[in-house]
Amino acid sequence: MKNTLTTLLIIAVFSVGTIAQEKGSVLIQNATLMTITDGIIENGDVLIVDGIISAIGADLSGPSGVSVVDGTGKYVMPGIIDAHSHLNTVSTNEARNPVTAEVTMEESINPNSVSIYRALAGGVTSIHLMHGSANVIGGQGETLKLRYGVTQDEMRFADAKRTIKFALGENPTRVHGQGNGIQPRTRMGVEQIIRSHFDEALDYRIKREAYFASKEAYEVDRRGRTAPPIPVAKNLRYDVLNDIIDGEILVHCHSYRADEILMLMRVFNDYGIKNYTFQHANEAFKVAPEIAKNGAYTSVFADWWAYKFEVYYSTAYNATILNENGVTNSINSDSNELIRHLNHEAAKTVRYGETSESDALKMITINPAKQLGIDEMVGSLEIGKQGDVAIWSGHPLSIYSKVEHTYVDGKKYFDLYMDPVDMRIAVDSEDSYAEAVFNTFIQGREEDSCMSDVFELIEQ
Amino acid sequence: MMKSKKWNIILALLLMVTFTVQAQITGKPNFGKIAIIDATIHTITEGTIQHGVITLDGEKIEYVGTDRSKVGGGYTVIDATGKHVFPGFMDSGTSLGLVEVNAVPVTVDNREVGNMNPNMLAFTAFNPHSASIPVTRVSGVTHVITAPQGGLMSGQAALMDLWGYSPDSMAIDATAGMVLNWPSVQSRGWGPRNPEQAEKRYKEAVRNLDKWLDNARFYEQMMNEFEADPIGKTKPEKNQQLQAMRALVQGETPLIIAVSSEKDILNAIEWSTHEENSSLNIVFAGVEEGWRVSEKIAEAGIPCLVSTLYTPVRSYDHIHRPYENPAALMKAGVKVAIMTREVENVRNLPFNAGYAAAYGMGAEEAVKAVTINPAEIFGVSDRLGSLEIGKQANLFISSGDPFEPLSQIEQVFIKGYQIPMDSRHTQLFEEFLDRDATQE
Amino acid sequence: MNIKTTFVDMASFLVMLLAWQQMPSMAQEVPAHAITNVTIQMADGATLENADIVWRNGVIEQIGVNESIPFDAFIIDGGDSLHVYPGLIDGMATWGSPETPRDLPRLENPGKPPYDRAGAQPQRVPGHYLNEDKAFEAAMKAGFTLVALGLDGQMLPGHIQPFNLSAPKLTQAHIFANPLALQGSFETAPGGWGSGAYPSTQMGVMAYFRQLMYDATALQEHMMYFEKHSEMTQPEQNDVLEALFPLINKEYPLYFEVDSKEEIERLFRLQDEFGFDVVLVSAKEASALSNELKARNIAVLASLDVTEMPDWLEKENKEAKKDDGERSESSEEGDSEDAESEELTEEELMFRSKQKEAWEKEINNLSALLEAGIPTGFTSAGLSPKELIQKVNLVTENSTLTKDDIVGLMTVHNANILGISNRVGTIKEGNSAHLILTDGPLFEKGTNIHIQVSQGVINDFMED
Repeated sequence: MKNTLTTLLIIAVFSVGTIAQEKGSVLIQNATLMTITDGIIENGDVLIVDGIISAIGADLSGPSGVSVVDGTGKYVMPGIIDAHSHLNTVSTNEARNPVTAEVTMEESINPNSVSIYRALAGGVTSIHLMHGSANVIGGQGETLKLRYGVTQDEMRFADAKRTIKFALGENPTRVHGQGNGIQPRTRMGVEQIIRSHFDEALDYRIKREAYFASKEAYEVDRRGRTAPPIPVAKNLRYDVLNDIIDGEILVHCHSYRADEILMLMRVFNDYGIKNYTFQHANEAFKVAPEIAKNGAYTSVFADWWAYKFEVYYSTAYNATILNENGVTNSINSDSNELIRHLNHEAAKTVRYGETSESDALKMITINPAKQLGIDEMVGSLEIGKQGDVAIWSGHPLSIYSKVEHTYVDGKKYFDLYMDPVDMRIAVDSEDSYAEAVFNTFIQGREEDSCMSDVFELIEQ
Repeated sequence: MMKSKKWNIILALLLMVTFTVQAQITGKPNFGKIAIIDATIHTITEGTIQHGVITLDGEKIEYVGTDRSKVGGGYTVIDATGKHVFPGFMDSGTSLGLVEVNAVPVTVDNREVGNMNPNMLAFTAFNPHSASIPVTRVSGVTHVITAPQGGLMSGQAALMDLWGYSPDSMAIDATAGMVLNWPSVQSRGWGPRNPEQAEKRYKEAVRNLDKWLDNARFYEQMMNEFEADPIGKTKPEKNQQLQAMRALVQGETPLIIAVSSEKDILNAIEWSTHEENSSLNIVFAGVEEGWRVSEKIAEAGIPCLVSTLYTPVRSYDHIHRPYENPAALMKAGVKVAIMTREVENVRNLPFNAGYAAAYGMGAEEAVKAVTINPAEIFGVSDRLGSLEIGKQANLFISSGDPFEPLSQIEQVFIKGYQIPMDSRHTQLFEEFLDRDATQE
Repeated sequence: MNIKTTFVDMASFLVMLLAWQQMPSMAQEVPAHAITNVTIQMADGATLENADIVWRNGVIEQIGVNESIPFDAFIIDGGDSLHVYPGLIDGMATWGSPETPRDLPRLENPGKPPYDRAGAQPQRVPGHYLNEDKAFEAAMKAGFTLVALGLDGQMLPGHIQPFNLSAPKLTQAHIFANPLALQGSFETAPGGWGSGAYPSTQMGVMAYFRQLMYDATALQEHMMYFEKHSEMTQPEQNDVLEALFPLINKEYPLYFEVDSKEEIERLFRLQDEFGFDVVLVSAKEASALSNELKARNIAVLASLDVTEMPDWLEKENKEAKKDDGERSESSEEGDSEDAESEELTEEELMFRSKQKEAWEKEINNLSALLEAGIPTGFTSAGLSPKELIQKVNLVTENSTLTKDDIVGLMTVHNANILGISNRVGTIKEGNSAHLILTDGPLFEKGTNIHIQVSQGVINDFMED
């Protein structure tokens, strides 16, 4: 009977979380505040009202009725942002064509995946849900807030910049060249795929604009002497490529080797594309000065290497070298396992190269926020920013620290002390309790998770 | 180019360090009489010594205690004031040295073709020059179990130390354990879809296993009799597989059973209690659902090799189960050792242990799970696993708690060798931190 | 005359009738038919007892009590105890459709497949693909007299067209009406391993669908220009894109096979962009979006293919019933009810409560749609008639849905959704003669379907 009661209680508590997108208010008192952009404040208070950080300081008081959390001995930091995730995709790779700019992860969000909750328990509040790396130009990404229990639309991070995935090197050459016998089979081919598609997109734009112009002329000519145009159909793929050229979409490019990183910067300089991020970029450290000079960003693993040939000559000191060379770098997970402890991944930059603790924390907060174009809204504890914060039991870079509460928009989505088993939302009524062991749990990195959906396409 | 003044100082220091490190590479590791003084010494088996002294004489630990006078002339003295000394950590489950680049099949030597490969030795394929070995050892991991995978019986794992130029010089035990992948009865995942089918397949696999073990026991007995007195007897034909199982059926070589789910663990326990299997020295590895049946594992007295950094096994599992599993087993009375199951990132062993420590195990027990416990499980605690006089000098000096990523592992010793704290990763760091700098 | 002899007579008559059917010109030799002395289920839900019904040339001519039967009507005597229902309609099925070929050849460039290999074949009409299929006869025996046929396929398999189920082997002659919709789904391009093509994901299907619509829009515009300006470059012939014109012009609804809430939401996005009408097919989670469906005026052809009750719940229910029985006898408050659940872990209790919730949601989908006022009909969606009865029982026993409701879904609701309610779905004068004659209420145990009448053609299933 007691068990049943607990269960009911838990369901009651949990069902609060399933109410659609809400903003909350909370006052956290007397904690160590890791502001990220303004140092560490000891014995500080943070007040979040209706989802927005409205005050930071000492001895704050909130509006009446606001819930108060005693933060004595605790650390408050902004929610972690993962700039590279496939956490809750429906599918990850539209891998049947080397260029699929027209597809978007916005239409591949699974809002019910329990992995969202697991990430919240690691203090993560936002992710960049990315297309996989099978294609040279993959699909568009979607930045999400981890509001577990809301609809796919409500998970989307309002006003985040549009993004798109590019991928260089082994993955696209393996899938398309090796797998299907079409270009690209080499890094030479990868460059030409990008250039030819940008050129086609630019040509399309000229033709499409010409069509609009002659259509207008035809329609205003009441005497009927103007010939009608041959209509040029709207082309979704080229529209997206033109948006990239116009700077409306931030490119996040899966890349490993130094030479291919240099190649993409050359191509982007030719087309005037700016504000892009190299994802993974295990050899970025070899060309850190060039990356800095181009104002490009990097988003790397803390220590993953050697799982494939193009990461064999890489180093866990990558992040530190990039940081010291003035590159805005983030640490990402690209893994539903690592995302549960990105704080720990960031801490590794201290071990490997003695990056300062404050820079290490930036790599999982404000830096990824910059790379996703959301740094005006999240990524640090600042008045006016959104109330995405986590309360930690100790210093967030310590292995012994646990996330106690995670808030998104001031609303609590994770509570260590009210953390029941079975946090699934999507339940298959055919599931069996006893048989529900999935042997596909994730450990370590044997292959790119951003190649999921693809293996079955490749004939080895 | 380089930004701050502070940075210039760091850089200058770094260049000095670089210089000395390179001297170590081109030179040789220090070896002989070495003393570490004024350290906090975590002996594991005999408590923690503040301001302690530890001296090495060649491969062995000569002295551990507080008596400075033990450090006579001729010792290289390392002042470790404010630092900590731990025995080298041991990872109980890796494929280090067997796999170089996982996605390049020709560099993958941990998976032989075939279902029954008891004669395959990880020792043979262990590449002492793998780039991953220096990367691993500078993190304080001095020993690994490196194991083959695949099939029902994958082959034999080796216990290797991480300093040397040949498997022969690095092997603590070339046949440290026989790896058995417990046939699963689960009908989910990659296996068959319906429970009956799964059950049938499971039973067939166990029958096959039993048959092999029966044959091995017979072979062992027959060969013993022949070897004891070959005169007048026809020499039996040699069977490579059964020959390789002789030490296993004697109980000399542990049987490492890789098993994950609750049902499978229970089946494996039940199997291990069969009369004919009583001579086997059984160890479980993986054991992700061990927490569900920890009492039963403890009752069977089976030690477990576990990790912590994986996602929950069932969709409805509590989020922290993987972190809490080692503690649950330990508290039930199971001897627990921690492993990474990694290749190139075995260096994350302390962090796997750190999560176990933070989630119920406590730091002291978690340290044991990467030192003395695995040494005991693999029968080498007379040589490894703690800082005791006469044991092999495997240890490291760290700036703080070695589970903390914020700490630095400053110096590692493997069987007395003060090894160069250098790896591909540090070398690339040194070369590329200020890539375009010129010699001054 | 008792019923038995009536049917013996009728059987011999039907042998003749079947012969006529094969020679349509002779059908008129029986100018009209009448069923007399039956209980008729009327459109308004009322029943008309001891009534007669007469049809001629496939159209109901007369319904009434004690009215005179035309002299030229062949009479089937219902003998007091039989019921006449409107013929059942299957809102969508793909019977007779050719299967997707299994061994598709590998494409040279899977990124740019021909339309059919991408899964877009909207130009197809079911009338051209009427293969033999046992399902036709099975459906007739189960009381279905009309089916809206679609085709097996992927993103855009073809048109939907209603057919009379008046013979076990359908031909063009059984067409009931013109195609009334296009069929769609989020199914990816056919083929696997080496033979698949773009689009291979749902997001890819959405993008590909959009591009088809854009291409069709441009082609239609080109054709319009060309009509006025024959001097301009001739537009290409493209039957795939041309088949999408009715969708672009919002002349056709899109019958879209979709189940999950998230996928229905994705369909809304396409609807918002192109403005066509939508009918959901299968729609197992549709009730989660009732408000939105209502706002969009979207109808649902719902599947009855619900999951069986979880074993533990069935057992628990049985025991609860047993307990109730015992209690009413001893009227004692037993503590035994938690005997079993106490042994369960918190985890398993949680698992069960979530599973129960999920299952109840599933089983209540249809009733919730009806309660929300969503026009809801029925699609067999692959269920065989035998499975259908079983699922009808499962749903009616575990939700507020009644068997009458289900008859409603299969008759008047389906007729409304398909836009053919002026001819079928109810029994009234002037409607097509789509009727079934049963010896009891539909879907009740022991009820047999004696005669099925589709478009006036009689099929007797009590012969064997």
